[in-house]
Amino acid sequence: MSAPTEEKKTVVLTTSDNADLTVEREVAERSILIKNLLEDLGGDNAEAIPIPNVNEAVMKKVLEWCEHHRKDPPASQDDDSDSRKKSTDIDEWDQKFMQVDQEMLFEIILAANYLDIKALLDVGCKTVANMIKGKSPDEIRKTFNIQNDFTPEEEDQIRRENEWAEDR
Amino acid sequence: MKRVREENDGGERPAKVRRVPAKDRLSKLSDELLVRILSFVPVPTLLLCQQVSRKFSRLAIDSELWKAAYYKRFVLPRATRIPGIKDTSASDHLRYSSQLSKWLDDGHLLRKGICTNWKQQYRLRHNWSQGQCAVSEIVVAERPPDPPLLVMMSSSTIFTADSLSGLRAFDSKNERELIASTPLLRPEATNPQLPTSMAIDTSERDTGHERVVIGFEDGSFTIYTLRREDQSFRTLFEHAPSTNGALSAVAFSSPYLLTMTEYHLLSMYVFLEDTQLDDTLGPPNLLYSLQSHTVWPPVSLSIRTTTTSMTASIAYALPTYLSGWTVGIQEMRLTHDGELLESRLATAADQHSLTLSGQRSMSSPTTRSSSPFPGGSREPALADNPSNAKPTSMSYSHPYLLVAHPDNTLSLYLVKSTASSLSISAGTRLWGHTSSISGAHVGVRGKAVSVSRLGDELRVWDLEGGMASSTNRRRSKNGELSVRIQPSKPNNNSNEVQDDGRVRRFDLRFALDQGFDDSTVSRGWVGFDEQNVIVLREKREGSQALVVYDFA
Repeated sequence: MSAPTEEKKTVVLTTSDNADLTVEREVAERSILIKNLLEDLGGDNAEAIPIPNVNEAVMKKVLEWCEHHRKDPPASQDDDSDSRKKSTDIDEWDQKFMQVDQEMLFEIILAANYLDIKALLDVGCKTVANMIKGKSPDEIRKTFNIQNDFTPEEEDQIRRENEWAEDR
Repeated sequence: MKRVREENDGGERPAKVRRVPAKDRLSKLSDELLVRILSFVPVPTLLLCQQVSRKFSRLAIDSELWKAAYYKRFVLPRATRIPGIKDTSASDHLRYSSQLSKWLDDGHLLRKGICTNWKQQYRLRHNWSQGQCAVSEIVVAERPPDPPLLVMMSSSTIFTADSLSGLRAFDSKNERELIASTPLLRPEATNPQLPTSMAIDTSERDTGHERVVIGFEDGSFTIYTLRREDQSFRTLFEHAPSTNGALSAVAFSSPYLLTMTEYHLLSMYVFLEDTQLDDTLGPPNLLYSLQSHTVWPPVSLSIRTTTTSMTASIAYALPTYLSGWTVGIQEMRLTHDGELLESRLATAADQHSLTLSGQRSMSSPTTRSSSPFPGGSREPALADNPSNAKPTSMSYSHPYLLVAHPDNTLSLYLVKSTASSLSISAGTRLWGHTSSISGAHVGVRGKAVSVSRLGDELRVWDLEGGMASSTNRRRSKNGELSVRIQPSKPNNNSNEVQDDGRVRRFDLRFALDQGFDDSTVSRGWVGFDEQNVIVLREKREGSQALVVYDFA
């Protein structure tokens, strides 16, 4: 497995907009989806792997992240693990990486989910969580252009139901 | 005109206009992803998210989110506070995971599976920790019965017993309705029996029928079962009167029953559970009986069972020469066949004092004698000594022994019971009350409530882990160990004047002050379960009421 010849191996990924991206296998395998695919195909596979849900721009961004995190230890399989939830702290590189417009941010989250890259998915979700944190409902709606489909009475009722948690 | 044109060829206008209508990309994400995002926001934000939109409202009450929040806030900190748990192999144990984590005694919430409303549970615990509650009252007696009314509370039922109204069961939730009642009369007798002690079956039987035992002044006792479905009590067993005197304390954990008379004769019975039907119980076997010469009231009896043995404990007040009062505990361990394995004693007396019985302390309190004698292991008292005043009430829920004193303080002792020894830790004095304490009750998890004699101060204590934990010592120093109960925020209608001119308020102080003065408050009985705290109040004119503090 760890033979030096294997480390240099590359794979070709075909994005939804038909761009072929050549990438080192180790980097691509940050994606559990791609990793499993490659294992299923077995041996030397020269064929391009189609990634029909991700376009070139997003895929490049995702691979940039995978490249930087190529040496990270494998993700914990325990989805509930507390370490994951410990905080919304994001390391500096990832913070910079996530300084993108909302469209790209959500595309990255969707891609990370589809490609099964848990660590990247969590970075994306934490970024969104940080955008929600400390805001009023109205500010949250403005931030994400969410339409308020409550009547004022309904909204008021929910507010009253949750009064118990307010600091006194 | 000009304006309209501008909007039509908006391409020339600044970007701001072009972006409208911007897409709501967040709401387009799958529920699964949104819940994942919400799992990273703190609870106050989670609640605000419910107001954002219908979709968010639905997602922000997701059970998994609240389960995790509950674990993080209420289970994990406790786990780290309990000595011993933290040390065992790193923090791996304490990570939250729905399958793997230790939920301590909140495990029953997990076993209920999807039925558990985690947001509601979180709210309940939150209100406990903040001392927020609603107050309501049940008037239980128009004049004071003699002997005084007995009250106990189980998970969902408040039981009261007195000679005038008999045994009654109230729903501790909802409307505090009377569920059932039965007079305390023997079939052939005309005068009602006088109840002097009461206990609820603490064994975890799953018949759905709660059992209560009542001890009477004539030395008899009766076991009742509450049948909620037909709103009645059924008598399971009646024990004949005895010449040994009134039963001053009872404890019940099926099939075991423990009684103590006013003259300190302790008897232990076992019922042979022959039928699954909740019909009647055959006469019990007397397993064990013992006369104590050192036990002073107040006394707290309890029974703990394991698969191989059962342990009966008596916690009692103990007078000492020179230094006033302290506490003692006697523990008897028996096999399920009734063979006495051991009987042992421990006191929290100061090393240099002698108890009135004159026995010297012994290094090993363990004895197999069937007539155990006083003495026992004593640990030196530390600073912050517990009060030496005579206790007004005693409550023991292993390992916590909580004693109330008339001098505004409580004493907390930790009882250590291992295979080889029984000991009581040096007591710690708990400060917080500003007037004399008349009653205290400690329950599972070291959650305790106490009430002052004047009834104007009710405090909830979190004594988990005792004073051995540095966290608790720090909290004690900062006065954070207990929270004074406050009424929930006044509603708009809380000061509304009713037709008869009486002001009706939910203000706690008002509810407590109503008609109480020093001379009439004879019993500040308190008890609680997961959701409620109840206090028995006696009013000036002699009527008695249960005040229920509802944290839900």
